[in-house]
Formats: sequence, C-alpha cells, structure tokens
Amino acid sequence: MNKNGMNGKGMTQAGIRRTLVALALVALAVFPLVSDDLYYQAMLILTFVLAIGATGWNIMGGYAGYISLGNSAFVGLGAYTTGILAAKDNLSPFLGCLAGGLVAAVAAAILSLVTRRTRGMYFIIVTFAALQLLGIVATIWSGLTGGSQGLALPIPTWSLTYQNWPFYYPLLALLVLSVAVSAWVRRSKLGVGLFAIADDEGKAAGLGLATNADKLIAFVLGGTFLGVAGGIYAYYVTFLNVSAVFDIVTSMLIVLSALLGGRGTLWGPVLGAFIIEPLANLTSTSLGGANAGAIRLLLFGGLLGLVVLFLPRGLIPTVSAWKTQRQGQGQKQPDPERLRLPLAATMTQEGDQTEAAPAQRPHADATTMAGTGTVLAVRGLARSFGGLRAVDDVDLDLPPASVTGLIGPNGSGKTTLFNLVDGTVRPSSGRLTLAGRRVDHKSRQARAHAGLARTYQLPRLFPSLTVLENVVLAERRFSVARLFLPRVTVAERGRAMAVLDDLGLAQYASTSPATLSYGQRKLIELAQVLWLAPALILLDEPAAGISPALSQRLAGMIRHLRSEGVGVLLVEHDVAFVASLSDRVYVMANGKIIASGTVAEVSADQAVVDAYLGDQVALAVGNPVESAS
Amino acid sequence: MTELLQVLIFGVLTGGVYALMATGLTLTFGVMKIVNMAQGALLILSAYLCWTLWAHLGIDPLLGSLIVTVPLAALGILFYRFIVERVQRHDHGLTIVVTFAVALVAEAIIALIWGPNPIAATPAYFNQAFTLGSVTVPRAQLYACLLAVAVTALLQLCLRRTWLGHAITAAAENPEGARLIGVEPKRIGTWIFAIATATTAFGGAALSFLYQFTPDSQDTWIGLTLSVVILGGLGSVTGAFAAGVLLGLAESVTSTYISVRWSEAVPTILILLVLLIRPQGLFTLAARQDAAV
Repeated sequence: MNKNGMNGKGMTQAGIRRTLVALALVALAVFPLVSDDLYYQAMLILTFVLAIGATGWNIMGGYAGYISLGNSAFVGLGAYTTGILAAKDNLSPFLGCLAGGLVAAVAAAILSLVTRRTRGMYFIIVTFAALQLLGIVATIWSGLTGGSQGLALPIPTWSLTYQNWPFYYPLLALLVLSVAVSAWVRRSKLGVGLFAIADDEGKAAGLGLATNADKLIAFVLGGTFLGVAGGIYAYYVTFLNVSAVFDIVTSMLIVLSALLGGRGTLWGPVLGAFIIEPLANLTSTSLGGANAGAIRLLLFGGLLGLVVLFLPRGLIPTVSAWKTQRQGQGQKQPDPERLRLPLAATMTQEGDQTEAAPAQRPHADATTMAGTGTVLAVRGLARSFGGLRAVDDVDLDLPPASVTGLIGPNGSGKTTLFNLVDGTVRPSSGRLTLAGRRVDHKSRQARAHAGLARTYQLPRLFPSLTVLENVVLAERRFSVARLFLPRVTVAERGRAMAVLDDLGLAQYASTSPATLSYGQRKLIELAQVLWLAPALILLDEPAAGISPALSQRLAGMIRHLRSEGVGVLLVEHDVAFVASLSDRVYVMANGKIIASGTVAEVSADQAVVDAYLGDQVALAVGNPVESAS
Repeated sequence: MTELLQVLIFGVLTGGVYALMATGLTLTFGVMKIVNMAQGALLILSAYLCWTLWAHLGIDPLLGSLIVTVPLAALGILFYRFIVERVQRHDHGLTIVVTFAVALVAEAIIALIWGPNPIAATPAYFNQAFTLGSVTVPRAQLYACLLAVAVTALLQLCLRRTWLGHAITAAAENPEGARLIGVEPKRIGTWIFAIATATTAFGGAALSFLYQFTPDSQDTWIGLTLSVVILGGLGSVTGAFAAGVLLGLAESVTSTYISVRWSEAVPTILILLVLLIRPQGLFTLAARQDAAV
C-alpha cells in the first residue's frame, strides 16, 4: 500500500533527523572540553541565548501567530532582576536567573492578560510600546538599575581552567529544555489550540476553546525561557546598560532567526539562530571603525527584509515543500465528491452503532433540557450599527428536539441574529437565555460550554490542522489538565474515525481540510461542531451550494439531531428544504420577525409572500403588513 | 496662571507638529491597514535632507521641504511597489515586520551618509519668540504648527473634493466594493504611499529645526507618530490632528508639573492605554466590525 510506504519513508527521515540532532548535541556538549578556543565558546554562548529566545518567541509568534517585537523586554527583565539581586543582595547569579525567569513570566502573564482582546498588528504595536516603556522606566529608575550609568555584576570567581563552562552548559541545557517544551507544546492539546488560534481565533472561541488561557500559557512559556537566559547572559557580560539590554535590535534578531529558520516549525528558530549569531559575530570581529554599527544594522535589517520578501515561510518549510513536491507528483487524490452511502441508511440502523458518532450520541444536556421547554429564548433582542437597526426587537423561542427555520431576504438580519446568539456581536439591548442560563454578556466560550454550536455558510475549518484534529477540537468545558493531553487521544481517534467513516471521509483524516471540496468541508464542519454534543445548533445555509444527494444526507442528519433532543435553528434560502424539515418557521425582514408559525401558516401569510416568497413582488413592497400570527 | 497658559500654548504648538509628523502614517494605517514602522526613519531622512539644503545651500527648511517632497514621494512609490505590496499579497501580518526592517536599513544608510553625531538646523528664527504680554510664543514652533494646519487642511480638502480622495476613502471603507467599481487597490496604494511619504517631508522639515536628531532617533519618532495615529483613531486626518495636540499638551504638562524625563514616556503610555481600553481610538465612533458594548 502506497500509504504505508510513505509512512515507512517518513519514519526513516524522522530517524535521520533524530540522529543528526543527537550528533549535533553531542558535538556541542564536548566542544568546550576538547577545544579551549574562547572565541567559539563565546559565539556559541550567544547563539544559545538567541536560539532560546527564538524558540520561546516561536511558541506565541509561530504557533499562535501573535508576532511580538518586544521580546527583548524579557531578556532585559531577566538580566536586570539577576543583576540587581547579585549587585545588591549578593545572590548568586545562577539562582538570580531563576528569579529573572519568574519576573519575566509575571510580566508576560500581565501583558497577556491586558492584551487578551488585542489582535494582529495592534498586538505587535503593544509589544513594541511595552518594550520602549520598560526601557524608559529602567532609565528613569536609576536607583535600582543604575540608569544610564549601567549596572556592574560581580566578576566570576571560578578558576580560569573552567573557561566559560558555567555559562556554556546551563545555557545549552536551557536550550535543550526550551526545544523540548516547544516540542511538547506542538504535540499537546495546547499546541492544537494555538495553531487553531493562528488560523481563526473567533472560530476557535466558538468551539469552546479557552483561547485566552492558551495564549497566556504560550506567552508565559516563551517569556520565562527568555528571562532565565537573560539572567545568565547578564552574568556573562557582567555589565548591563539600559539601551543595550532593552534594545529593539535584540528583538529584531529573535524575530529574524525564527522567520529565517521557519516560523511555526520546531527546529526553525534554532536553525535560524545558529545562522544569525555566528554571522553577527563574524561581522563584529571583521568590521571595525566608526561605521561598523551602521553596517551591521544594514546587514541584519536587510536580511530581515529579504527573508520576509523572498523566504516568508522560512528555510525548513520551504525545503520540505520542495522535497515533497519532487517526490509526491504521482500521488492520486481520491475522488473528492464521492460519498460512500447515504447517511439516511445508517441512521435507520441506529442500534448497530450507538457509540459511533457524537451526532448519534444522546447527550445528557439535551435530554434534561427537554423538561424546561426551551433551549433558546430570545427577548427584545436588538443591535444597531450606526443608524441601522440590523436586528430590531426580536423575540424567539426554540424548543429542544425541534427544527426551527429562519427565512427572509438577504440583509434582513438573519446572520446578525446568529452573531448575536453565538456572541460574535454584542446586543444593543435585549435578553438571551441559553439552556436556562442568561448569556447575553457571556463570552463565546461560555456559550459553547452552555451547549451552543454553529456552522457557517462558508465553512470555517482550520487548515493548519488535519481533518481528524479539526473534528476533535471542540471543548465542552475548560480544564487545564486537558491541555496536557496529546493532540488526539486514542479514545477521540476511535470516535472521530467512526464519524469520518460514516461521512465517507475517513481517507482524508490526516490531510488538511484545505484540500477538500466545499461540500466535504461543510460535512466536516458539521461533524466538528457536533463534537460539542450541543443542545442547540445554528446552521447557516447548510444546503447552499451542495449537491442534491448531499443535501438529502444533510436533511437526514438534521432529523436525526432532532430525534436526539437537539434544538436546531436553520437559516436557509432553499424554502423547500426548510419546509421539509421545520416544525416552525420564523420570517425576518428589515431586522424584525414579521411572521412565525408552521410552514403552512407562514406561506399563507400575505406579508411573507410580499417580503420574501414572491420575489418579483418583494422588490416593489415598501412596508410589510403586520402579520396576524 | 501665566505658567499654565504658557504650558498650553507650547503644548498646542508641539501637538500640531506631532500631527504633521504622523500624517503619512495616518494615511497608510487608516486606509491600507499598514503600520509603516519606517515612518520614523522617513521623518529623520527628510530632516537630514532639509538640513543639508539649509547647511550647504542656505535654503530655509520650511522652503526646502517643498523640494524634499519630490524624492520622498518617489521613495514612497518604490517602497510600496517593491516591498510593501509584495509582502501584503501573501501575508498582511508581515508588512509591519518588513517596514521595520526597512526602518533599520534606512537608519544604517543615514548613519553612513551623515554620521552618528546629533545635528539640528538653526535658521534665524529658531530661537526667537513673539511676546504677548507675559507669555512667549516661540517662532519656530509657531511656523511649524501653521505648516501643520496648512498641510492637514489641504489633505482634508483633497480627500473630500477630488476623485482620488473619494477613491482613497472608498478603498478604506470597503476595498472589495472599491475594486468592483474600478478603484484598483494597487494604484490607490501607490498614490497613498506617494502622498504619505511626500507629506513626511514637511514633518521632517519641522523636526530639523525644532529638535536635535541622530540616525537612531528614528526609534523615538516611530513611537511618537504611532501614538498620534492610534490616539486619533485610524485614518482620520482631523482625528490625528486632535490627537497630536492632546499628546503635545500631555507632554508639556508632564514635563512642567512632573518631570521632563517622564514626558518621554507619555507617547508609549498613551499607546498602551488606548490600545488596551479603547482600541478604535479616542476620536472615532463604533464601526460595524467593532461590536462595542
């Protein structure tokens, strides 16, 4: 089998890589013992610091996609904490650097908490400003930091025969540790969460992922390593001054290393650092004179620019993409539109596969909810954008175990209503009760945890994750322990493969959803949100743009959900599709509910015919008559 | 009372200059969502060019800035076409990194040409002042502020009255819609960068006789211009003007009543406060995407 062959080859390649890494590590470990060349020892010490910095940066900047230009602040905090403790309290710098790591971790946690709503370039600006501010504060607070005069640390007292080993080995150990932690992050639920955040943070929140906690942990991990490294570095250089320690250029070298090697890869930042720092060393020894600083800036600024322009993914991803392209030409893609068997058929044989899929798993919440009468109660919900009332005083009740259709012309407020219910948009006024809990000012996570799920008209899946990982991503509750689990646990794999098998998509389990067709992605997204075992599910135009066969399967799945006690709210333009499924239909126009009732009642309503069903008439009608129902 | 009045006058004048320095960033940030970290370097470059015209040819920096607009506009076009636009196409998030790289390269080139020592232009009026009763109005500051008002007004007029201005506004509000009606983003982007860097020449001229500058002072100015733009709400030219004045006042009050050294921290503190508390800026209304509570 082709697939096994590929895997076998992949194993040997991983084996080669592991051997190479082990050899490099051994070489680095014995180097100071066999060579007394202090020049190379010094170069390697600085390389380790940069590699640790880049690896730490990569957890937030690479995995989660949050680029920071302020990471040298953590080096500075670690260095100054260590330096101050050593200078004022005579604490050994090797203990002081741990305190440095702690201070950096606390700073990272604070920064992460206050920036939890800050995205994209705003986050970059905040990190940049925070670094500048720290530099200014450190200069002003000269009683503590020595200000512009600088701060001298005690000179190391060990015998010269040990050279710089007491700096070299702790930093090497710290580098190994930071790479190990980074590797662990990649393999854990935490890492999956971070990759999901990089792809689509809003969607991740809607699946109940604790995005803020994930980001906080990622930022703290990166900051801690930099803080400890900064502490050891402080002792190594024995003299700190603000402009050198809180230097934006250090941040730049960190970012450059990570980008050059490959942002988001495990080894990329290390590789980048092992290229950049020796280059920096070479230029600083070979260049002299007044212009040396400017030439170095030109070199590294230019290199950063060239990497972003011509090697934006970095060395490792570019090389591996080139390799797979060379060997992977002959691979045959299975027919993307092929669907194994109609779902309706499997549905009727329920008894055989009770535990097969979450969709077929009765959920406790949904069943207990049956008693209370509604899974979703909307009262007087309104949202204005400027002068436009997109959703205007909407009341809506959704009983469990029912399908409710929501129809109306484009721009009538259906999607805004969905956004209000799932928390993407906050209401101007009104109340929202989900499974008995008031949620109108709750986060998206809280709503997902309360049992809300939503699909999108254009499916929003995570291209950085495999199809299988996409399916098992959703979380019904937050627990820290869960973050430590592997990406996909054995139990999850079993259940998810059954779901994928059922959808006829099992062979795509380990590919990116980006390679799937539109219809397949719709199915995967449905499976993904059903993993929440929701009490209420919002479907945004599920039947739009898919084949009739698929839409029949979909109808079967919706009916099945209803039989399991789930409340379904369906926005759909295919009126026949809505009519065949819905127990009750609401009609929206201009942000208001203009009619509600059974399909028969609504379609007899003149206002509905005017506003929506009769397309030709709809254009001419100015003010819909208030409905009788 | 006189002291307060003096502080206010000085704050307003300085603020006008800050707004002028940030104009270029206001345009690229507001319309194209591109944070041009090279704004500080472009300012410093303009200041060096104005200084050179003044020192070697005796051209007043205020007049010299008109000449400097030409090479700056050309630089802006090249910068956009060969760097920013290419990066923006595959990863918008990296534009900030690449403009940062350009800032470092520019700083290095400036240092290689003009050397690392601080300089400043000293035209006849640079340390003169008008006296009104007990308050003094420094002439240099006043001229720079008037220049700021003129440039802001002209720019605002262009945005409101010309086809290009409408196209720019349209592209800012709805890039896809603008493309559908024939407003090609790349062409608009080129124009915006040309205008943005050209107006930076005026900010640089003001800088050249108001402050001492070195190649690495670009770092300070990027922080300051960023804070003006963020405070003003992205892309609003008048908002940026108001923000500049507010910032100038805050600095002037801080340095008079607290300490000169803390006034240096005012821009960064304001950036952090605004981004953390009211990310849409102080002078903007909630837009549809903002989903403000």
